[in-house]
Amino acid sequence: MTTPGAVVTAGRTAGHDEPGTLAPPGGPPVITTAGLTMRYPGPVTALDGLTLEVGPGITGLVGSNGAGKSTFIKILLGLLAPSSGTAAVLGADCTASGEAIRTLTGYMPEHDCLPPDVTATEFVTHMARMSGLPVTAAKERAADSLRHVGLYEERYRQIGTYSTGMKQRVKLAQALVGDPRLLLLDEPTNGLDPAGRTAMLDLVRSIGTDFGISILVASHLLGEIEQICDQLVAIEGGRLLRADTISSFTRASHVLLVEVDEGGPELAAELTSRGLAPVPYQRTLLLRLTGDDTYDAVRDAIADLGLPLNRMERRRHRLEELFRDDPADAPEPTGAGDAR
Amino acid sequence: MPADMTSPVVGPAGASPAGVIHNIGYRAYDGPRLGHGHIVLALCWHSLRSAFGLGRGFKAKVVPVLTLVIMSLPAIVNAAVVAVNTNQKQLVSYGAYVPQLRILVLLVFVAAQAPELVSRDLRSHTLPLYFARPIRRADYPAAKLAGFALACLILVDGPLLVLYLGMVTQLHSGSAVWTNTKHMLVGLAIGAAWAVLLAALGLVLASLSGRRAFATGAVAIFLLLSFTLARVLAQIGEQTPAGGLIRLNGTGTPPPLVGLSGLISPFTDLEGLRLWLGGTTSGAVPVNPGGYGPLYLLMFVVFLGAAVGGLIARYRKVGVA
Repeated sequence: MTTPGAVVTAGRTAGHDEPGTLAPPGGPPVITTAGLTMRYPGPVTALDGLTLEVGPGITGLVGSNGAGKSTFIKILLGLLAPSSGTAAVLGADCTASGEAIRTLTGYMPEHDCLPPDVTATEFVTHMARMSGLPVTAAKERAADSLRHVGLYEERYRQIGTYSTGMKQRVKLAQALVGDPRLLLLDEPTNGLDPAGRTAMLDLVRSIGTDFGISILVASHLLGEIEQICDQLVAIEGGRLLRADTISSFTRASHVLLVEVDEGGPELAAELTSRGLAPVPYQRTLLLRLTGDDTYDAVRDAIADLGLPLNRMERRRHRLEELFRDDPADAPEPTGAGDAR
Repeated sequence: MPADMTSPVVGPAGASPAGVIHNIGYRAYDGPRLGHGHIVLALCWHSLRSAFGLGRGFKAKVVPVLTLVIMSLPAIVNAAVVAVNTNQKQLVSYGAYVPQLRILVLLVFVAAQAPELVSRDLRSHTLPLYFARPIRRADYPAAKLAGFALACLILVDGPLLVLYLGMVTQLHSGSAVWTNTKHMLVGLAIGAAWAVLLAALGLVLASLSGRRAFATGAVAIFLLLSFTLARVLAQIGEQTPAGGLIRLNGTGTPPPLVGLSGLISPFTDLEGLRLWLGGTTSGAVPVNPGGYGPLYLLMFVVFLGAAVGGLIARYRKVGVA
């Protein structure tokens, strides 16, 4: 068993046998694991010696599909017994106290899990009862939860008539209804369009910050999850890649991509003269994004030069790039306050 | 409305209108959290309601209401006839009731409603939401079984109570009432055996499939096929070598094939069990346990054990999340 408490310094990639500690000041860890290993017969190793500590706040659990995120969540809920190692949620051991943990934890699964032929109110009320709430409290909290996720007007409609975005909200509401201390959200933006994703992420962010509920949100889309998390845990192949606060994760990865139909070199020169450091990448320019001034500078430069702007977007980095210590083929703008 | 609306929660800037958190503070819940026993009770109650389509749309109520009405008809007719003609003897017995009707109604009810309780949750993958709550693995099937058995009990024993009310209002001597009550209580017990066994068999078969049609088919085919097989075997056994028929109707010693054939189907097993325990035959569903009575009890236990065990095993294996 690894000694807990060792701190992973900002930006350092942790090996799977090194513990990652995320506990920020201000609260005991919400999730603690030590040498957590899960092997399915097969043999498939879903988790491999995962040791980490997650503090209160919103934590992103990021990893590609099959990295072990869902297995991790099931172990935390006490639904799966790990092959070896230990896990604790809110100070209670997951194997021994699964029932106590599940009383204070809300879970939103990745997949579809709603019956189509009942109303959202009935369903969430029933789920509140299943969380151990008395009848009256279940009804009140179901109404509250549905209001919190923005479904108050539509709550008497059958779930089958809902859009994907509304169904995701019902899933979130049923997780929230038992007033959990911890929410485990598995890919909450699954199947949503860009607007729906933004809305769902804002919702998760609000629940975490305004309601004071700790959240572990699993996603394979780092670009998404980084917008709302205080801290990030990255796993790959069941191993801990990195555990850190969000700022150290994203410092090196805020990149703006600008594409003009013509006049790329001129734009690059203009941007350089404005104090930015554009890096040509294929037919585009990459810029370190430092804030709104970067957008303004690009806008002004393009306007001054009268160039046809084709595309300007924040580059959505792929996971692998982020975890590579030396992002060789992930073009990073050089000389712009390099984080590494 | 919450008392603490003083701290408005405003959605983050830039949130789309759909993403607005409404302007209401989050209320933490500090009331009681009931233990898993209460949760099982709640799920049991919920299952009982679903079995009768309560809390669902109009369509969900058609089969349960219709079966309940049809099942009660003989008791209502009996009450009417006895009220009109006070010399009329009881038309319908407490023990057997109207066996053909009971078999048909239970067949329809169990095949239609058992999937309502278990297949829906399988189909819509709701089970992970249950198991992510303070529920133990066996709680779910136990609560579903209790709820459905209770529903079947209402269907079977409810009409017996109607029958009883119809009778006792016309009886004038205390001893007659007492005799009638005793018969009624025995009938209720027999009805309970029917309800529990058929509920368990129906649920375990329905839980094999999330597709409602398949689940209904599985229940109906098992109950119908086993019943038909039992009847065919009994009829073969009743034929004498000379080509005649032995009609024993519960008395005397039947040929082994006749005595054993009733074990195959839950319906004939229940009827045979009743006859072995001293019930009088109605003749409508001729079952003749003869000397094999204990086997009928054994078979009842085997049916029930297999169904309950199968149900628990089914939910031990079902995907958690």
